[in-house]
Amino acid sequence: MMGAGRIGLPGITDNPLSVSWHDSAWIPNLNTSNVMDYFSERSNPFFDRTCNNEIVKMQRLNPDQLQNMTGLEYVLLHVQEPILYVIRKQQRYSPQQVTSLADYYIIAGTVYQAPDLASVLNSRLLSAVHHLQSAFETASSFARYHPSKGYSWDFKSQRGTDKAKPKEEKPREEPSSLFQRQRVDMLLGELIRKFPLPAPPQPKIQAPPVKTDVENGQTENKDIKTEIKQEKIKPPPEKKPRIN
Amino acid sequence: MINKLKRYEKIEFLGEGQFATVYKAKDIETDNIVAVKKIKIGSRQEAQDGINRTALREIKLLQELHHKNLIGLLDVFGHMSNVSLVFDFMDTDLEVIIKDNTIILTTANIKSYILQTIQGLEYLHLNWMLHRDLKPNNLLVNAAGVLKIGDFGLAKLFGSPNRINTHQVVTRWYRAPELLFGAKQYSTCIDMWAVGCILAELLLRVPLFPGESDLDQLTKIFSVFGNPTEENWPGLKSLSDFIEFKPFTPIPLKNIFTAAGDDLLDLLEGLLVLNPIKRKECTECLQMPFFSNKPAPTLGTKLPLPQNIRKTKEEKPSLKRKLLDSAEGGTLSKRLFF
Repeated sequence: MMGAGRIGLPGITDNPLSVSWHDSAWIPNLNTSNVMDYFSERSNPFFDRTCNNEIVKMQRLNPDQLQNMTGLEYVLLHVQEPILYVIRKQQRYSPQQVTSLADYYIIAGTVYQAPDLASVLNSRLLSAVHHLQSAFETASSFARYHPSKGYSWDFKSQRGTDKAKPKEEKPREEPSSLFQRQRVDMLLGELIRKFPLPAPPQPKIQAPPVKTDVENGQTENKDIKTEIKQEKIKPPPEKKPRIN
Repeated sequence: MINKLKRYEKIEFLGEGQFATVYKAKDIETDNIVAVKKIKIGSRQEAQDGINRTALREIKLLQELHHKNLIGLLDVFGHMSNVSLVFDFMDTDLEVIIKDNTIILTTANIKSYILQTIQGLEYLHLNWMLHRDLKPNNLLVNAAGVLKIGDFGLAKLFGSPNRINTHQVVTRWYRAPELLFGAKQYSTCIDMWAVGCILAELLLRVPLFPGESDLDQLTKIFSVFGNPTEENWPGLKSLSDFIEFKPFTPIPLKNIFTAAGDDLLDLLEGLLVLNPIKRKECTECLQMPFFSNKPAPTLGTKLPLPQNIRKTKEEKPSLKRKLLDSAEGGTLSKRLFF
């Protein structure tokens, strides 16, 4: 859903979600201890060099000092040697309080920015609407009207090409996997927990779902790790189980 | 005189140097804490020449200067053969702050320090005065986060077209290239170079050009900025001590100051220009985007303090740690009478 722009050409597009970056020289040696250095390469468009990490590095201070600073910082959030690293960009207000701003994932050495929920929903809605529209267009091309008979379908005349397509295309567009839906539900749950909805008129009905969401939120981090693993182990590309 | 002597009640000894002993004292008339710098007359031979030259400079110039970012000379009094100067009491200085590894200097903190420095220096320059010894050690900071330029022992009026000045001024690491080449006529730009070096040191926490000799100093400077030429510095070769250096390729400043924003790099590049004529003046610097961009300079009260002051807040600190540092000079002159 995002076209990965090729290496190091920032400025081609302003949208960070359509950019990726890698430095081939580093890729064979990437590991947990140097992945942050890799990420802080100057040519990496995702790295803001005025961040606290770089200040600490430039001033040769103890990296533990990061906890006591306020402002922008990057942390290594998740590691799955040797293929996946997740780095989080966050705003620190105090040693205890941080707000995450963005996540970046490094898969096989290539850095991408993880899309935010709004972008995902936007993109999904757009493709859903697009496909609905093309379905309507295709369907309307089969519709016939005769003054005496009224409306009718005519699939015979254009059968060869048009008929085959819609049937094949629909299953190919896999709306989401179980993993993806769980993730999104969990993220939504966490968001609701952080920014609770204004109390609705019938609180009895609303209350239970919020509660379960909180539980999801708490165990969130562990879930991510295991789930990512699971996804990797399962046959990845050709699973297309459910269509809504 | 007797009144003056009684007015300042000694609290503790702060430090001793070649020319002076410094005490922390309390002004019993105003209840303010002050620093009393007692100038030593020295040996009989020295005494014949009268009072020490650096002290004379400080007295002469500081009496006419009043700015919140310049050390205030509050009073001068003599007793027997001594002259004592009474200064604002300052808790620490930038050198201590730079060397304290528990302190983080954020862009906002650095902006605050350098802004205060340039504001004080602008006032000084607008009054036709050169400081000629700017370095972190001479930028004094009090517990309220106010920075004041101190030590006017080398300060001098400038602007007379015929006056020849000595180039043996400014601590080497902060000395501008034209001074190292032996320029006898110079102006505010030598202070601006020093400000550039101090700004660099605030960013790196180590001196940018720690030269071991005057030649080494120039080598270190050119290894960053490349060699000067008659083109980018007309008149360069007519300087008395000019020599040709082996060619260096310049290093972009952003490779050295990796975490500095572009506006900060612009300021650095404006200050650290080899050609003194092209170096930016205080007033120009203050108008640069760096000072109006975010983040805003840290408020004085929120600036970090070194560990020893954080702990005792009002006990230990010294007006001039330099005096403590040069203890060898101090012990030698212990025989002096007070």
